[in-house]
Amino acid sequence: MDQTSRLLLVLGVITLATILGLIWRTTQGRAKQLKSGLQVDLKELGATKNGLPVTAFGERITFLQFSSEFCATCKSTARVFGELEEHSSDVLHIEVDITNRLDLANKYNILQTPTTLVLDKRGVVQSRIGGAPKQNTLEEQLGTFVI
Amino acid sequence: MAKPQIDPRGPRFGAAITATALAVTIYLGLDASTEAAAFALLLVLTALFAIGAIFGTSKHPYAWLFKTFVRPRLGAPTELEDAAPPQFAQAVGLFVAGVGVVLHLAGVEYGLVAAAAAAFVASFLNSVFNYCLGCQMYLGLKRLKVIR
Repeated sequence: MDQTSRLLLVLGVITLATILGLIWRTTQGRAKQLKSGLQVDLKELGATKNGLPVTAFGERITFLQFSSEFCATCKSTARVFGELEEHSSDVLHIEVDITNRLDLANKYNILQTPTTLVLDKRGVVQSRIGGAPKQNTLEEQLGTFVI
Repeated sequence: MAKPQIDPRGPRFGAAITATALAVTIYLGLDASTEAAAFALLLVLTALFAIGAIFGTSKHPYAWLFKTFVRPRLGAPTELEDAAPPQFAQAVGLFVAGVGVVLHLAGVEYGLVAAAAAAFVASFLNSVFNYCLGCQMYLGLKRLKVIR
């Protein structure tokens, strides 16, 4: 194969990867409204916080974050939610490692981690955020739950 | 037990070198006269992926390059990351590069180039877009029962 064709093919692969990356980036960290009305079962979730089982939802909003073992962005995502929680007492952040909880992964159809479900005060799923949430996504979500 | 932590910029730096080497592999693999060189390069990359997958990315030669030449110029990272996710990505790279080696040995035309292109896309996304294979694929592969 001549040199020009080879260079063009390599450039083509680079372009393809760039397009894929740009598309992927726009899908990440945005909230998608869910109308399923799925009620989260805290018992089934078996989540703990500071060593204690979680028995109640946030008074205004709960961010239910699903993480896994090989997830690089889960930790920073948890930190962002942790800061939100510190600033407002009616916000709750729950993190569940679903590496060995495929039942939960299947039930909530989790394909990537972190995936965050946004719950209202009754624990009904309102929206889902795939990937590390963008700052304006969080502000929007908090804004829709103002009492 | 605390999980081993690494500077998250290290694996991205390594992925940039890997992506560049894979682009060269594709270029060389497209012509019969340089196919042997492409295969040799892919073998080296496969061996490097194996080091990263088995011993972790902190034992990878690129990590040494990063620590010695790059990190002193960057300053301290804003936060550290678990070492496990990049190790998982190295294992995926090992699998894809290994498939390329096998396809080439089996005489499949452009098998080497196809595998190099797939590995290129992954390492390019990792380096440029901070794409995390472990975040995106691990759970899906587990749900499909590809890995246990």
